[in-house]
Amino acid sequence: MNYEALTNYISSTPLTWLIITLAAFKLGIIIYEKFNKHTLLQPIIIAYVIILSLIVYTNTSFEKYFKSVEIIHFFLGPATVALALPLYKNLKYIKSLFLPIVLTLFIAGVFSIVIAISLLYIFGAHLPTILSMTTKSITAPIAIITSEQIGAIPSLAVGFVLITGIVGALFGTIVFKIFKVKYETSKGFALGLVSHGIGTARAIEISEKAAAFAALAMGLSGIFTAIFLPMVITFFK
Amino acid sequence: MLKGIIVLLVFQFLGECIAKFFELLVPGPVIGMVLLLFFLLIRKGSFISLDNAVALHLRYLPLLFIPAAMGIITQIDIITKEFWAIFIALFFGTLIALVFAAKFMDFLTSRVNKDEL
Repeated sequence: MNYEALTNYISSTPLTWLIITLAAFKLGIIIYEKFNKHTLLQPIIIAYVIILSLIVYTNTSFEKYFKSVEIIHFFLGPATVALALPLYKNLKYIKSLFLPIVLTLFIAGVFSIVIAISLLYIFGAHLPTILSMTTKSITAPIAIITSEQIGAIPSLAVGFVLITGIVGALFGTIVFKIFKVKYETSKGFALGLVSHGIGTARAIEISEKAAAFAALAMGLSGIFTAIFLPMVITFFK
Repeated sequence: MLKGIIVLLVFQFLGECIAKFFELLVPGPVIGMVLLLFFLLIRKGSFISLDNAVALHLRYLPLLFIPAAMGIITQIDIITKEFWAIFIALFFGTLIALVFAAKFMDFLTSRVNKDEL
């Protein structure tokens, strides 16, 4: 029996971290479903905690971890392309409220970025953090590839995206009540625009139409942010 | 489903090629997404193989963020130093943006509805 050969294999094969990552996510799904899909128990949050603890505990470098699971990262590309289909299916709603949708998309979309980075600036954050905050309201796959494009820190960007989604999903309906938001379509659109996929999942609980508007907002804001943000940032650089 | 997977990969490939060739700043996969959207609009519908391939990619979408997300361990410094700024921007920034977006859309929607009456 060759103990050394075995430990060498386990510590060098990409399979180890690949299995851990997939299993941690699966465990996340099981826990999420056991607790009636509570927003705070997103499968990715559970997977995050498990994998992060293991990385720290085994003293593995991020580069090594990333190399092992790079195949998962690869699928962000085709998954982004795949987002065209849900957007296509919800595009028919755009006609019903064309002007409100287009104006809210651009004005509220820009406002959402400006308010976040202004708050960061006022409270003394530095440029890498500010850049990573600009993609906080778009769906994570697009946020990751856009943050790579603009020279932000993708891991910070994903973290900001997730927290923005969770805050919106947890408190969205409460603030809509406090500020007396009237239309379901407005609630859905705002949730999708600001809190992307996690907000859209929440909008399903308001109504089917709200969910459709959330999905529409998420798809459109993802596209337009990815188009305009890199241009604006190169202009300022 | 293979046909659907090929469609997704080809559109990503086309998007990346267009981005490189025209020196666009837009990420290639997003161009691929827009191209696929136009393809579906022209074709006036999807097909089963594509539906399945899309479902496969989107069902476990959050799983795909994990590799990039774990890079957070290299950013502990920034997070501890700028914790409050980040917290305020994420918490209050998100709530303010939500209220603004919903109220703004409400305002525009009631104006459109008034015009129709």
